[in-house]
Amino acid sequence: MKKRILSSILALTMAAGLLAGCGGSKTATWTVTCPWAPSGVAAMVSQKAAAMSTDYSENIILVADAIKGDAATVNTWVADTKADDTELVFAGEGLFSITSILDPAKLQFTYDDFMFVENLYSSVFVMSADAKLNIKGIEDLKVYAEGVDEISVAANGATSSEAFLAAALFGSMGFGDKLKITPYSSAAEAAQAVARGETNFAVSHQSQILETYQQGGVTIVCAFDGEDISEGEFAGVEGVGKYGYPYFRNRCFVLARSGTKAETVAELKKLYDDILANDEMSAWLNDTMMLEVDTMSEADVQEHIQNVQDIVNEYYDIVVG
Amino acid sequence: MLEYIVPALQHLFTLENFLWINIGVFIGSVFAAIPGLSVILCVILFLPFTYRMTAIPGMMFLLGIYCAGGYGGSVSAILINTPGTPHAAATMMDGHPLSRNGRTKAALKIALYASAFGGVFSALMLLFLGPQVAQIAAQLGTAEYFMVCLFGLTIIAGVSGKSMIKGIIAACIGLLISCIGADPMTSYDRFTFGVPRLYLGLDLAICLIGLFALVEVLAKAEKKPGQLILDSKKMNDNGEITKDEFKRMIRPTILSSIIGVLVGIIPGTGASEASWFSYDRAKAMSKHKEEFGHGSVEGIAAAESANNAVTGATLIPLLTMGIPGDGTVAIMLSALMINGLNPGLSLFTTQGDIMYAIMIGLVFVNLFMLLQGTFLTRLFAKVVSIPQEILTPIIVLFCFAGAYSVNKNYFDVGVALIFAVIAWLLRKLDMPPVPILLGMVLGNMTETNFRRALLISNGSPKIFVSSIYCIIFVILTVLAVATLIRSKMKEAKGETKR
Repeated sequence: MKKRILSSILALTMAAGLLAGCGGSKTATWTVTCPWAPSGVAAMVSQKAAAMSTDYSENIILVADAIKGDAATVNTWVADTKADDTELVFAGEGLFSITSILDPAKLQFTYDDFMFVENLYSSVFVMSADAKLNIKGIEDLKVYAEGVDEISVAANGATSSEAFLAAALFGSMGFGDKLKITPYSSAAEAAQAVARGETNFAVSHQSQILETYQQGGVTIVCAFDGEDISEGEFAGVEGVGKYGYPYFRNRCFVLARSGTKAETVAELKKLYDDILANDEMSAWLNDTMMLEVDTMSEADVQEHIQNVQDIVNEYYDIVVG
Repeated sequence: MLEYIVPALQHLFTLENFLWINIGVFIGSVFAAIPGLSVILCVILFLPFTYRMTAIPGMMFLLGIYCAGGYGGSVSAILINTPGTPHAAATMMDGHPLSRNGRTKAALKIALYASAFGGVFSALMLLFLGPQVAQIAAQLGTAEYFMVCLFGLTIIAGVSGKSMIKGIIAACIGLLISCIGADPMTSYDRFTFGVPRLYLGLDLAICLIGLFALVEVLAKAEKKPGQLILDSKKMNDNGEITKDEFKRMIRPTILSSIIGVLVGIIPGTGASEASWFSYDRAKAMSKHKEEFGHGSVEGIAAAESANNAVTGATLIPLLTMGIPGDGTVAIMLSALMINGLNPGLSLFTTQGDIMYAIMIGLVFVNLFMLLQGTFLTRLFAKVVSIPQEILTPIIVLFCFAGAYSVNKNYFDVGVALIFAVIAWLLRKLDMPPVPILLGMVLGNMTETNFRRALLISNGSPKIFVSSIYCIIFVILTVLAVATLIRSKMKEAKGETKR
């Protein structure tokens, strides 16, 4: 008897499940794949945006997914998807501007395999210095660089955006031959390295150096941006663009598979724009993550990719040796 | 420390956390009670589930498995004279004889109480010693980390089994595997053979599924199906422990807990070493030496408190330096990292509330283990006799699901299978798999820190003796190697005499 009751419950549950799937709902669930660590900045922003998607759309539900793997994850994503699939993926200048030049064989895709949906944020990198050096601005930096034989900079990865920014700054100052980039496994390690005096400088996201800065282990030398930082803990830090030195921000684009209907892409873009316009979201990005909401057009994206590619091509020898 | 306690308690005291602790404790007890199913295998199988959790419930779940595994192994050791886990072998020495004397429940109770005491003691040590060790760890730079890794590699000797040469070969295989993927210093690919999925190297969790879990299935396939027989009638004693027995348990339990903590802090050593060493000490110090081997309560208490006292202590080097204290903890490292908790460095200040929640949670893990053990021991005991033909397919299912779920890729299932075949072949050659694991865990870290240190010093090896910490680890490494050579020479002499 017990078995019969159990079998009936199981059958009813399955039937209810099947019927629930036949509701004819117009809601589409879009999986947003982030090819970096689930604990990274992009994954967290994606997760936050996904959680808010149901507040702004009745037709689209965003589901954030993070599969660490960088180019390999995007390769798989491209191979597994086709036009109009309800799949989105993140990619940034690291893939389109750096890996595409340094190691093109790693990429089994080009930008043409995607359709741009939106850019969610941008992050301004900063350069910190060992507090003992007492370097607080670009002028101090120039004086320091002229007086030493070697300038060591900690960066998260040997050929990362951070490494190229350091190369671009010291290269354009004329000290490229003195630069020694010391790669670390994470931004936190790089920040600790400069505080311990293992390196003279470190390039990192603002949020990654904040604690070390607050503890007095480092000074902030400059920001890799066009203007000075205007607000927050690092307000007043000089932007290298002011002096004519090259720079770029870190950006991560949300992309759909090429061939996806234009109106679908427009609907997704509008959804992301609505989410980013939310005060809570922008406050979280600014205050907690130290990022800026940065919606972009296709032309802006192309310009960003080209700018970074130009920097990579120009300072390739300093980074790669 | 105090400023983190209140937020830590707020993080910890949730229904979700306590639920995961209890699920972990239950699963760990059941797994460890079944001979052949190790705690390490259990943690590997359930690790992917934690990838979707936040740090605290994920760690509570895994710590539940880890700690309960320490106790669960004693159930089969006492009942059927077969230790569920290797470190329960010392418990078997007196646990089974006491059971044979008609005091099965009493033996299980002694093991449970001693395990819980050892576990709580160890968790408190982690809570109070961990941050201090962390402060020292914050001063460790690239050169110091390399020296720590080098010292860690000397552990290979301890896990090599009968043949040191085979252990070293196995460790070299692990080191070689750790080289697959992007070069940590230049980002150029090594040994990827154009396979895109290898660019980031091989995921440790996937390799472990093949090395430790699937290989067991392959090994079982070679044997005739057998069933362990448990006579549950044996558990009908009243389980009473006399006042005098309680008194006699106190000293070996405390002493063994201290030994367990000290052994656990040293990376690469483990519960087996701690339990045997403690058992030996308890016997040497006992007024009733004649009872050892015939059902001594002191023997059971010493072995069990020591192997559970290792659990919290192994987390000290893990959390403060990123050096796993033993194989199981090495796997937990990835559960921390997936949640953005990079062991070492400033973890105790940047994520102090989470760290303290995990450390306080470990105390509760042991208390829930005591609670479950008190009421569910009879159930754990029944698991001992589950037929292998039911158990094995379930393990295979978990292995494949676990391997796939890491990156949601069938490639990883293939990797797990390849590693299972490699491990099976190595087993045929009598090569131990643990040194491979150690090589894989320490390989990348050792290489990266070595090369980075030389980059910082512009090629000067003096950097490796540039600080007091470097010198301490140089001395420890030399001492470890010297002790090893001495013991091997003694062994050789002993064999010659025979």
